[in-house]
Amino acid sequence: MDDSEKISRLSATPTRVSEQWFEEPHAEQLDHVWSPPRGFLGWLVTTNHKDIGRRYIVTAFIFFLLAGILALMMRIQLARPENHFLNPDVYNQIFTTHGTAMMFLFAVPIMEGFGLYFVPLMIGTRNVAFPRMNAFGYFVYLFGGLMLFGGLLTNTGPDAGWFAYVPLSGPQFSPGHRVDIWADMITLTEIPALVGAVEIITTVFKQRAPGMSLNRIPLFVWAQVITSFMVLFAMPSIMLASGALAMDRLKNVNTHFFNVAEGGDALLWQHLFWFFGHPEVYIIFIPGTGFVSTIVETFSRRKMFGYPAMVLSLIATAFIGFGLWVHHMFATPLPKLGQAFFTGASMLIAIPSGIQIFCWIATLATGKPKLKIPLLWVLGFIVVFVLGGMTGIVLASMSIDIQVHDTFFVVAHFHYVLIGGAVFPLFGALHYWFPKWTGRMLNRALAQWQFWLFFIGFNLTFFPMHILGFHGMTRRIYTYLPETGWGNLNLLATIGAATMGISVLLFLINVAVSRKSGALAGENPWGGSTLEWMTASPPPSYNFLHLPTVAGRCPAWENTPETPVVSGLSTTEREVLTTTILDAVPEHRYEISPDSIWPLVLALVVGLDLLWMIFTPWAYPIGVFVGLVVLAFWFWRGNEPGWVVEGIMSTPPKSKTEQLALKTEDAKAPSHH
Amino acid sequence: MLKHRAIIDVSGLPATVLDHRSPIWWGNTLLLAIETTMFALLVACYFYVRVVDFTVWPPPNGNAIPPVYNTAPDLPLPLLNLGILLVSLVPMIWADRACLKRDARAVKFGLTLCVLLGIAVIAIRFLEFKSLHFKWSDNAYASIIWTLVGLHLTHLVIATSENLIMTIWVFVKGLDDKHARDVRVTAVYWYWVGVIWVLLFITIWGGARWL
Amino acid sequence: MSAIYALVLLFAVIAISRRNRGSDEPILSPDPKREHRLNIALGGFALFTAAILFYFMVSDFAAGRDMRAISDPNPLRVLIKGHQWWWEVQYENAVSSNTVVTANEIHLPEGKAVQFDLQASDVIHSFWAPNFDGKKDLVPGHPTSFAFRPTKTGTFYGQCAEFCGLQHAHMRFTVVVEKSDEFQKWLTAQSQNAPVPATELQKHGQQVFLNGTCIMCHTIAGTPARGTLGPDLTHLASRQMIGAGTIPNTRGHLGGWILDAPRIKPGVRMPQNVLSPADFQALLAYLEMLK
Repeated sequence: MDDSEKISRLSATPTRVSEQWFEEPHAEQLDHVWSPPRGFLGWLVTTNHKDIGRRYIVTAFIFFLLAGILALMMRIQLARPENHFLNPDVYNQIFTTHGTAMMFLFAVPIMEGFGLYFVPLMIGTRNVAFPRMNAFGYFVYLFGGLMLFGGLLTNTGPDAGWFAYVPLSGPQFSPGHRVDIWADMITLTEIPALVGAVEIITTVFKQRAPGMSLNRIPLFVWAQVITSFMVLFAMPSIMLASGALAMDRLKNVNTHFFNVAEGGDALLWQHLFWFFGHPEVYIIFIPGTGFVSTIVETFSRRKMFGYPAMVLSLIATAFIGFGLWVHHMFATPLPKLGQAFFTGASMLIAIPSGIQIFCWIATLATGKPKLKIPLLWVLGFIVVFVLGGMTGIVLASMSIDIQVHDTFFVVAHFHYVLIGGAVFPLFGALHYWFPKWTGRMLNRALAQWQFWLFFIGFNLTFFPMHILGFHGMTRRIYTYLPETGWGNLNLLATIGAATMGISVLLFLINVAVSRKSGALAGENPWGGSTLEWMTASPPPSYNFLHLPTVAGRCPAWENTPETPVVSGLSTTEREVLTTTILDAVPEHRYEISPDSIWPLVLALVVGLDLLWMIFTPWAYPIGVFVGLVVLAFWFWRGNEPGWVVEGIMSTPPKSKTEQLALKTEDAKAPSHH
Repeated sequence: MLKHRAIIDVSGLPATVLDHRSPIWWGNTLLLAIETTMFALLVACYFYVRVVDFTVWPPPNGNAIPPVYNTAPDLPLPLLNLGILLVSLVPMIWADRACLKRDARAVKFGLTLCVLLGIAVIAIRFLEFKSLHFKWSDNAYASIIWTLVGLHLTHLVIATSENLIMTIWVFVKGLDDKHARDVRVTAVYWYWVGVIWVLLFITIWGGARWL
Repeated sequence: MSAIYALVLLFAVIAISRRNRGSDEPILSPDPKREHRLNIALGGFALFTAAILFYFMVSDFAAGRDMRAISDPNPLRVLIKGHQWWWEVQYENAVSSNTVVTANEIHLPEGKAVQFDLQASDVIHSFWAPNFDGKKDLVPGHPTSFAFRPTKTGTFYGQCAEFCGLQHAHMRFTVVVEKSDEFQKWLTAQSQNAPVPATELQKHGQQVFLNGTCIMCHTIAGTPARGTLGPDLTHLASRQMIGAGTIPNTRGHLGGWILDAPRIKPGVRMPQNVLSPADFQALLAYLEMLK
């Protein structure tokens, strides 16, 4: 029984598998239906997942550059003892903004951007489940980022650390609006993360290509789904914490969540923050493993070894990741027995990560590896991340941690795991998927220079920090005394940071040059195994001329011209196919919402309202009211054509009679061969 | 251009489903998971400050004149409001069922009743705040319970508004497949608003008497 | 652990660098027997990893227990109060008038267990003397304590290890471990009232102190100066460093600190002081005699 028969037998409703000729949707017709309007207006109203995914990636990368410049400024200040490049007030704003921007404005959004771009392509559908909510999420993210850097540029940047411990960040010790900007920006950046998580989970559960059962989902998609679940349960914690802090700080509200004098608790903040904060780093790392799995599979020329172990490891990491947070609080006055549990859990999580590393190496070892640039970044990832993991085990041990906690040893550790675990795979992914986005290849020689400068610069910057930590250099200090002897290693670290800066510059040059004159890529320049490589580079607005079906884990390698495609979806409306969760049997047709201005409007309302909330609590009820009005407009669309803004945007869909007429006509037309 | 190709023809599949198979249902449920986590964390805060920071629970109110020693939230009005909220689930269940049969008349009736009851609950909720015996800025206990009740009030307002829009829609545009699905998904949100209030009620009104 | 790291890297390098002469075609069906053997091998590696981690965990628990097992029913008790950005140090005594209050410098007798009681007065700080023990956070609302037994004499440094605002970088302290009898001498001297000024210049200096704004924040035992916002200055001249362990206690540094502390430590609570040269010299003379 061949695969197409299998698929049809699985279907609950009758589906015809036949070799008759059938209505071929013209590419222009599909493009007309699925493209946003042209021009600036189109930019404002588009709900295409590729547009929005690209926006996330580009915007997040810009924030990466800005936060990187802040890091360079910090390194210049710390290069010599008692330096006067930055005064302590500016330094505190800079290190707070660096951490906040890297974690909230770069790391999570860029992973989300890759997910929003590639998940629908990899599972063989045309868009995410809720395209307008997707557009809304991006605009809210943009406003959040603008709010943070706007604050920094007007000397109201937050200055209590990216973790904003109370009571320092409370109303008594951080008067003014600096921390308010931080707290409200948090809400603005958590909304897009949560929204993105809902998108990815729903899309992956319900819109996969027929035949893509759970055990055939690409590991990249698994990583995105598992990350999305983590986001759902972790982000509310920081939203609650920052909301409570904002309320404590607001003059006319004056709650006492964290005010010790009225029964509040300074440690409650830490519990809420780190209950979010620890899963947050896995929310950043797990998509990185998705990049690595994709690149390893493609460049080993074989499917991933140990696929079930890989999936279970991801799930185990996500679960265990929620049980570690107290290891950030080992120095606080907490009961020792409780803290001991977290030592054990923090070590336990190394096992699933270790299993993943073993599987990657096994795949390479039993494949036919080609050391192209993306694989080079994966090698760099293994070297850097595993070292970071080892220092993580050191930190997990409470007896050792109470010595190195809050020293540069910790700074070294988390940069090794975050840059190693997320940024190295990210550069590999950027290089790997650049041809798919632009249709051209990046320059190989420049990319090699970039890699080696980054690898050397990174180790030069952060390896000495392990030693500095052992020598007693604490974190978050704007300067240090000469007699500590920390000067030379700090200077070395600054030189390394400059090297990393040059490397990133090379990357930008490579992108700028290759976009215009790089070698043409074609559909599948690397010979990748997943569905995004089975369409043009860049993909058309509708992704696939025919929605594919799959019969294995590596459709780009395994699908043949005989593998069936999906037919029968509307070609005049935006319609996709939904399938069952476990086995991806076709289930029903689902209408995707059109382009719309309302996501931007709602995002403006939310952004301005949260800015206003810094000054008065009345902004909250007024914001809810205005938001409800906007939502009413958003949802008040029917199947009729021409509802206000949406009507002028896209061609009004044809009525049912017209559609039927079209179908019958085509059905009668003779074959054109 | 037409070609010979193996195809899976899905044109016979329904365009709308009215249950958990719909992506809309999934979006709603996942958003509710987020909100549930939020409430769960707030309840965790409630228990945390009880265990770690207070010896008398609920704490006496020294700011009131005269001071109030027993500050456990009053029962009569809040219990009544809880009852009204639970009663409002009934017309919603009725409208929910009626959607499966595309019975527009029953849906109109059920939804309208639910909206009216929802508005009543919201109005009484504003009076319920007094029964808490504290201003939100009196102490940490007060801050937490005001936030719990206030956040739930926000959901009451949003859900009732959503119910209202659904009601107006059925009256103005009728009840087609897609709208029947939307009403059913909105119903799930309303059930959640009711059930979560039961849990919060036990926490706040019960916690003050049993902890 | 470095051995394990090296092994992982070795395997990775070997995996990548095997000569590959085959075509670029992907391997669609890898050899099942080989996959099975690889499964067993990796399972073994995973178990091995788990065993090593278990060993680490048990060692950590054992180390933790040892560190906490300071069995002395009568340790020396020192109360540490963290302020933005200095350390208040109190040696507790059954007779409260014998309590010794000082700042930023701790003396300890060699070989005796000491228990630090930690309280925060404003924000979270962290008490860390790396040569002795790990750090412990001072969290408002959560007083705590920890104990250790110094075994070597000498002068050691410590610093705040939790970001506490503008001058977190300059919140250090000194720990002097000395022989038991020397410690006793120091403690007794510290518990006395301040020395009475003898010369005219010193008397003038004391008048400058008592008539100026100094008394709003500082205490000098035996005089009307009873301020508690800043460090106790009763035995200022006996300390090695000032400014919370950041500048040496010399005439020049002390003078600069008094005249313009915010220039040395921007954000510090101590304001600038405008003094006539005569008053200034007298004040310095007075402070220098507070041994």
